[in-house]
This record gives sequence, C-alpha cells and structure tokens, in this order.
Amino acid sequence: MILLSFIVLIPFFSALLLGIIYLYDPSKPREKLYATIGVTAPAISATIALVIEAKLLVMDSSTVFHYTLFEWIHIGEFQIELAFMADRLTAVMLFFITIIGTLIHLYASGYMKGDSGYGKFFSYFNLFMGSMLLLVLADNPIIMFIGWELVGLSSYLLISFYHQEHANVTAGNKAFILNRIGDFGFIIGLAILFIFLEGHGYTFEAIEANMGLIDPSILPYIAFFLFVGAMGKSAQIPLFVWLPDAMAGPTPVSALIHAATMVTAGVYMVARFSFLYNETPHIGEFIAIIGASTALLGAIIASFQKDIKKILAYSTMSQLGYMFIAVGLGAYSSGIFHVFTHAFFKALLFMGAGAIIIALHHEQNIFKMGGLKEKLKWVYIPMLIATLAISGIPPFAGFFSKDAILITAFSSQQYTIWAMGTLTAFLTAYYMFRLFFVVFCAPSKKKHTLIPLAKSMIVPLIILAIGSATAGLLGIPEAFGGNNIFASFVALPDVPLHIAHSTEYLLSGLNILVALTGIALAYKLFARRVNEPNNSKIWRLVLTHKFYIDELYIFFILKPLLLLSKFLAYFIDGKIIDNSINLIIYIYRKAGIIFATLQNGKVRYYAFYILIGVSFISTSMLIILGDF
Amino acid sequence: MEQILSAIIFIPFFTALLASLLRLSYSNLRTLSIVSSIIVFGLVLFLAIQYDPHGGMQFIRTVDWIKNYGISYHLGVDTLSLVLLLLVSLLMPLLYLYMWHEHRKGYWYNMLLLQSGITGAVLSLDLILFYLFWEMMLLPIFIMIGRYGNSNRQYNATKLLLMTMLGSMSMLFSILYLGYTHFEISGIWSYSIESLSLVIFSPFIAIWVASGFLLAFIIKIPLVGFHTWMAPAYGSSPTPAVVILSAIMAKLGVYGIWRFGFTFFEETLTRYTPHIITLALIGLIYYAIIAITQSSLRRMFAYASGSHLSLITLGLFFANIYSWGGSLYFIITHALASAGIFLMIGLIYKRAKTINIDSLGGIASQAPLFALFFTFFALSIAGVPGTGGFVAELLIIIGAFKYNILIGIATASTMLLAMLYTFWMLQRTLFGAVGVATQNFTDLSKKEIIMLLPLAILLLVTGIAPSLFIPFIEPWISITLESINQNIGGL
Repeated sequence: MILLSFIVLIPFFSALLLGIIYLYDPSKPREKLYATIGVTAPAISATIALVIEAKLLVMDSSTVFHYTLFEWIHIGEFQIELAFMADRLTAVMLFFITIIGTLIHLYASGYMKGDSGYGKFFSYFNLFMGSMLLLVLADNPIIMFIGWELVGLSSYLLISFYHQEHANVTAGNKAFILNRIGDFGFIIGLAILFIFLEGHGYTFEAIEANMGLIDPSILPYIAFFLFVGAMGKSAQIPLFVWLPDAMAGPTPVSALIHAATMVTAGVYMVARFSFLYNETPHIGEFIAIIGASTALLGAIIASFQKDIKKILAYSTMSQLGYMFIAVGLGAYSSGIFHVFTHAFFKALLFMGAGAIIIALHHEQNIFKMGGLKEKLKWVYIPMLIATLAISGIPPFAGFFSKDAILITAFSSQQYTIWAMGTLTAFLTAYYMFRLFFVVFCAPSKKKHTLIPLAKSMIVPLIILAIGSATAGLLGIPEAFGGNNIFASFVALPDVPLHIAHSTEYLLSGLNILVALTGIALAYKLFARRVNEPNNSKIWRLVLTHKFYIDELYIFFILKPLLLLSKFLAYFIDGKIIDNSINLIIYIYRKAGIIFATLQNGKVRYYAFYILIGVSFISTSMLIILGDF
Repeated sequence: MEQILSAIIFIPFFTALLASLLRLSYSNLRTLSIVSSIIVFGLVLFLAIQYDPHGGMQFIRTVDWIKNYGISYHLGVDTLSLVLLLLVSLLMPLLYLYMWHEHRKGYWYNMLLLQSGITGAVLSLDLILFYLFWEMMLLPIFIMIGRYGNSNRQYNATKLLLMTMLGSMSMLFSILYLGYTHFEISGIWSYSIESLSLVIFSPFIAIWVASGFLLAFIIKIPLVGFHTWMAPAYGSSPTPAVVILSAIMAKLGVYGIWRFGFTFFEETLTRYTPHIITLALIGLIYYAIIAITQSSLRRMFAYASGSHLSLITLGLFFANIYSWGGSLYFIITHALASAGIFLMIGLIYKRAKTINIDSLGGIASQAPLFALFFTFFALSIAGVPGTGGFVAELLIIIGAFKYNILIGIATASTMLLAMLYTFWMLQRTLFGAVGVATQNFTDLSKKEIIMLLPLAILLLVTGIAPSLFIPFIEPWISITLESINQNIGGL
C-alpha cells in the first residue's frame, strides 16, 4: 500500500514547496497560488485516506495495511523503519484528521486574506497536518515520537505566528516547552520499553506480541511515563497551562490544534497502547482520575471567562478530560468515539467563533457582542447545532459519546469520577449556552458594522454542522436500539461492561436532565440582559485568573530556575571555580615575590647566605662522618 | 596513494609557508587558501570513498624519525579519525568563505596552520607525533584570540593557553612514562600506539598514567570544574576560531579518550567510569542551566556546547553500541550545527554590531531567510526531530537506559534543558519588535547562503535518513567494542 505513504508525504512536500515559494520573494502577494497548493494537499490526503478507509470498512476487522518507505536506522538491535500502518483505529483518526483538516484549511484560505504571511501560514499549516498524519500512521513508537515532536514544533510555529508581539512568542514557547516536558516522560517510557524488548522488534505489533517478556512489575512505570507524554500533548493536569495561551495564534490554528489534531494525539496514543494499559489497571485508574479532575477544572474555569476563544479553549481541556476518563477505564472505543464527535463540533465552534471575531473587527470579548442572531444567520445556525452537540442534547453528536463515557464510569463503580463527570456535563451546558445566549440572543449595546464573510469561511461551517448533528448516530448503544457501529468498527480491546439496560436509561435520562438544567440556568442569567460581570469579588478573581496556576508555576518553578541559573553563573562559576584557579596563580605569584626579595643584590645578604650554606654543609658532614 | 595522508596534513602548512615567503597580498592569499582547502577536501573525500568501514586502521604510513628513541612518523586512518577529518576539511572552505573580506593576513595564516595541526593530531599513530600536533593546533587559536579577539582578549587567551598546557604537560609526562615502560619491559623504545597498547601496568600505576591523559582531554572537552577557560575563550574569540573551538577542538578531547583511553587503559577506565559519568551528568545539567540566563549569544552557546559535549562524553563511557553510535553521530551533527550557529552569530555581529541577546530582536521580521537558518541550527542543537541532533541524542539516551535506568532518566533531561535556553534565546533574538541594533538588518547574501547551505542540508539528511550514515560508522564501533570487552573479560 504505497498510498499510505502518500497521505503523509504530500502535506510535507507541499509545505516545503510553499516555503520555498514564499521565501523566494516574501513580499509578493500570491494568495491564490498559496491557497490552491495549501488546500489541495490535505484534500488529496483526505481522498486517499477515504479509499483506505473504505477498504478497511469492507475487509475483515483484523486487516492491517503496511507500507515501508525505507529503513530509518539500524544499529545493534535498534532497527527502526520509516514504515506506516493502517488498522481500523488509524482509519478513524485519519478520517477526521484529513477531512476536518481540509475544511479548516479551506476556512483559513478565507480567514487569512490580506495577511502578509499568507504563504508562510499555509506552509506551517501543511507541516502541521503532515506531522499529525505521521503520528497516527506510524507503525512503530519511534516514528510516532518523531511525528509527536514535529506536531509540537509546528504548533510552536503557528502559535507564535505573529511573532512581532512578545506575548505570542511566549505562548508558543510555553506550548512547546510544556509539550517537551511531556515528551521527556514519553521518551523515558519508550526507552525502558525498548531496553526490555531489545532484539524482539519494536513495531507496535511486535511490542504487543512480546508483551509477555517484560517483567510485570516494570509495566506500570512504562505505562505511567508514556501517559506523561499524553498529559503534555493533550493538556491534562498539571501540564495544561499551554492550551489556553495557544489562542495567541490565528483562529484556524486553534481549530486545528483543538479539534482535529495535536490534543487528540494523547488519547490516540493510549488507545494505541491499549494492550499495555489493559495490563496496568491502576495506571488506568490514575489516568481516569487525572481526566476527571481536568474535565471539572476546565469546566469551572470556562464558566468565568469572557474571551470567546478562551471559553472554547477551556472547554477543549474539559472534553479531553472526558476522553481520558474513558481510555483510563478501558473503554477505548468510547474514548476514541468522543475524540471523533468532538472533532466535528469543536472545529465548528472555533471556526464559528473565528467568523464572529473577523466580522466584528477582531473583538473577542463576548460581552461586547450580542444580538448577532439575525446578522450572522449562517454562523448562528451551525453554532447552535455545535452548542447543542457539546452540551449533550440528543440526537446531536456529543450526547452519545459523552453518555457512553459517563455510563462507563458508573458501571466501573468509579462513582466519584462519575459524579465529577456529571457535574462537568452540567457546567458544560451552562457555559456553552452562556456563550451562545450572550453572543447571539442578548440585545447588543452598541451597533456593529459587520465585515462580510468570505464563502470559503461559511461552507466549512455548514458541512461541519451536518457532521455535528449526525456523527453521534454512528455510536447509538444497544440500549437505544442501535448496535454501536462505531465501537464494533474500531475493534479495540475494551474492558467489558456489565450494566442493565434500565440503569442505562436512567443514567441517560439524568444526563439529559442535567444538560437541560444547565441550559435553563444560562437562559435565565444571560438570554435577556447582558451585564459584563465585574470581577471585584475575590473568588471571582481567583476563577477568572484560572486559580492563579500560571502565576504559581512562574513563582515556584520558572523564577527559581532563573535565579539558580544566575547563581550558578555568578557565584559557583565566577567566584568559586574561577577563584580556586586564580588562587593557584596567586600563590605562585606570592612565592615569586618572596623568593625575589632574597635575591636583592646586597652583598651583606649574600655573605649571610654563604654563611648559612657553609654551616649547613659542615653540620651535615659532621653528622654523616660522626655516623661513619 | 602512499602519501595521501601526508598531503592532507601538510598542504595547508606549505600553503602558509609559501605565501609568507612570497609575501602575497591578502587577495592572493585568500585565493590560495581557498584552493588549498578545496584540494584537501577533495583528497579527504577521495580517501573516504577508498576507505573500507570494516577494515580497521588503513592507509598506514610509517617512517622512522628519531630512531634511537623509537619515535616514528606514523600515520593511519580509521572511522573515528576519518569522521573528524571530513568535518574539519568541510568546515575550512566554509570558514574561508566567511572570512572573504578579511584583510588581516594573520587570520589566514593562523587558519592554515590550525588545519594542519588538527589533521595531524587526528591522523597520528605515534604518541610523540600526536603530542607535537596537539600543541601545534593550540598556538594558532591562542594567537587568534589574543590578537584578533575582543573584550579582555589577552587575558582570556592566556587563560586558555595555561589551562590547556597544564593538561598537555601531564599528558606528555604520561606519554614519556609509557615509552619508558615499554623500553624497560622489551628493551626497545617505541611510541607507536600498537606496541604501547601491549604494555601492562600494575593497576595503581595505570591509574596515574591514565589520569595524565584524561586531564588533557577533560580540559579540552571541558568537563565541569575544568571549564573556566571555556566561556571567556568562546566569548573573546573571533568567529572562525570559535567555530573551530566548538565544532572540532572540543571533540578532539573526546577523540583522545576514545583513541588512547580505550586502547591503553580499558581496564583502568572502568574504574574512572562512575566518576566521569557523574561529572559529565553534572556538567550536562549545570552548563544547560547556566546557559539559560547568559546575555551574550556566544557565551550562551559556549555553555550549550559544554552541555552537549558532556553528553557525548557520557555516551562514550556508557560503552554500548547505542551510546557509542550516538556519541560518534553527535560528534558529526553537533559539529555541523554549532559551526552553523557560531557562523551565524558572527553574521549577526557583522550586521548589528552586537551579540548581546537583549539588544537584538525582530530579526525574523527583517530577514526571514536568516531567521529560518538560525532557527534550524538552534533546533538541531536542541535535538528536534528532522535534524541530525535528534538521532544522536536518541541513541545516547537509549544507550544510557541500557547502562542504567536512573542514569538514563537523568541523561534524557538534556532534551528538556536544551529547550529552555534555545527557545528563550530564539524569542529574544529573532522575534519581537525591531530594535535599534537590528533596524538595518539585511537578509543573507548569496555567498552566505552558499556557506550555510551545506551545513543545513547535511543536518537535514542526517536527521531524515540516518541509515545513510550509520552503516559507515557502525562496523568500527562494534569491532572496537568487541575487542574492548574481550580485553576486559580476558584480564
């Protein structure tokens, strides 16, 4: 299947091509050319991916396609091929990455109009796509890690795209550095895994086959360190702080990072190593707890934000928490299903938000918007669908996937996690509709003169709205008369659940009720009047500043590190080590001065030396002779 | 063919001699230097093609020199020396391109002599000969810093000279002792590596003799505690000298341990291993943390270089195939990347008249191509995938885990630490608003692109397809490792 390699290589090549054209003459406006190349590349990848997905759909569930491009490295037992693999899990990831990715590219071609860095933007954008595709198609962890890191690098480039502002570059740095903290854990996990499997091959399939060779007591460590990588990439506690700041990039970047690529990588990785995580239930539980805490924290913070993109960013963090609850508890297909549905509605939300921001001359504060229902009808309807979907109202996409996760938590008897998840569901409905009502329904205080939106920005919204409305139908559980096509398609080694249908109905009903309550609360508070909340109260201040976590990190980690650096440079290096070397020189010089005074050219001193010399020699001769 | 190694060593030397006798003008001197460097590069390439990676020491040439004391003119090349040879002969033409408008003739003479010194040291198989070349390469650097450097240059040059001389003297003592012991045991004098490697000492004496060598090499690398010359010397050096210092000379310390340490003292080195690993691990972290807040670009990359050389040293002492492969690979990619970065720092100085990080900023807006190259080299130093640096670090990290898991974790921290200084530096140097110093910052000229492109392409290729290079270095590594393990096991 040489086609597999095309999926990955085409975006890379077009990134290279765009980069060369752009650098040849950066100032020349060539938007049409850039947009054509930049959008065509992912579109081709998407088409090829569709072919492969169709084949996998009709073939047996254990079918895996392989293609080896070349041997990447071979030294000792460390033999890594640049090889691609597509099984059904890959196919699901490929499906939404390429299709939603292409739509975001299309949207960006309208969004970035008039930007002087148009060509550069599309070059980075394609690089990002290529890296993500490399990550999901890799047939061994090392190539996956390369894609993993390149995703981090391209996110850095895109987040700090407007690099004239230091704040944006800081955000980019933050994203890359926190990702690298995760990668540090990831590489530790991979290295330990390799050492224990040395000589037995290092592809995913070989690892799965040889799992038995690893000392069972070492498995939890491997599982934990690998998950640290996921914490960084998928913005989980405590490495989540980069995600909200990643808003510094242009909005299509946020859509791409938050929906189709990057943050989903962590969930994918855990699902890819499902055979490992099934062996280490305690680490799975740990993952689920981290996920639930992240979900709740994100939802709480999102409820108090005013910036439309920040609200969406925290909601991403919160939804990712759900996904980790699922994969942590062994419900891999539910986790991936939520990744899948989330990709649709989150991409839609970000692109809708971007459209609003552009239309309102780069206004991002929702309390300065209002009454846009009539004026932006083609943004309003898709946004409504997406908001319903994320809030978990049936039959929209989010309901089924979220429901499945909460049911998993309940039936695994993780009631705390379940309660946290349900609370999060309530908050999600509340803050999403708060956003929705404030932006679209509440009367606006000032007249807006809107900038008309390009068609290339509206069309993707409509396509995604259809997806957000229907994607959930792929995963209707048995209890509702469906047969969960999705779960049976991805065929992941889920931990089996035992739950009565009646309990399932009850839980689903509860979830709907919770979501409706959230919506009602938002309606009561925000649909009629808009008062920008003032943040004088201390608890509000704490919440709007996301519990001052950034400040804590700066105060407890960054500042001490910088101080340590200065201390080492000026004190240890400059004073202690340097001076101990200088001390030798000092002693040498002093000794020189002392000996120099002896040789002062005065005869009486010399006579004195002679006297000492003669008496010394004669004394010693006396002693020797006396002995003799 | 017989004389090819001698030609590679002495072409630059005789070019300098000829030019000084003829009193050439600077432009003729430039032409002559460039031609000589290209001829040498061609010869080295030819040598590399003829070289058989499985063949051990090759192109050996032995001529008696001071017969009474067994000192001979003894040359040969194996993979380790060929790698360094390729690097230095590749860098020289690029450096001459950098020096294109350099009117001070001393620059050119010193660089020619430096090349001869380095290639001689790398190719020598006789310890006395090695010592001569080892000292020969120090003097041009001393003069380059002391005469053409900046800020406190004479003090810093003297510091470098004294500290390296301290190491050289201890090494000379050990060399003489080795030769004498050989004479005592077998009745004939010899200073060639093969015959000396047969000499066996009592463990107590071996530790002292080995320490003489180690001191020289550790100062050259430098490991932490022996590094006070490093930042001042890097800071004061003119660009061509700093490129050679970081890209080649620092690696010669590693070369020395590899060549002499692991042939004469395999057994003794195992006693030193825990201590050197500790020292190198401390250095790896210590240098990286200091690099974060350095205000001068050169000093920052001096510490970065120290950190990565500690990593290479670590790889050497883990002594397994992954770590050795990684170390040798890192010698290549770090040389390319640090040459690139120091050349570009030189270009920044030419344009902005400062290399103080806080005075820079906004370069990316003024000169996108410049920013691209600079970022690329910096990323390679930080070990981002797609650059050769990543492959090397990955291999060393795997080797470290094979040695010991906890030490592996400590070694892997290099990935993290390198990020911190690299990205904060990039932000302040390239991004942000255009400052006073950078307002007339021009983008790369054609000549500068030609100078940097080979380095960038090589780094990219070493990153994307390491399988093109690994087969070249792997046989030597596995053969050497095997023989060491045999020797240690046999004793």
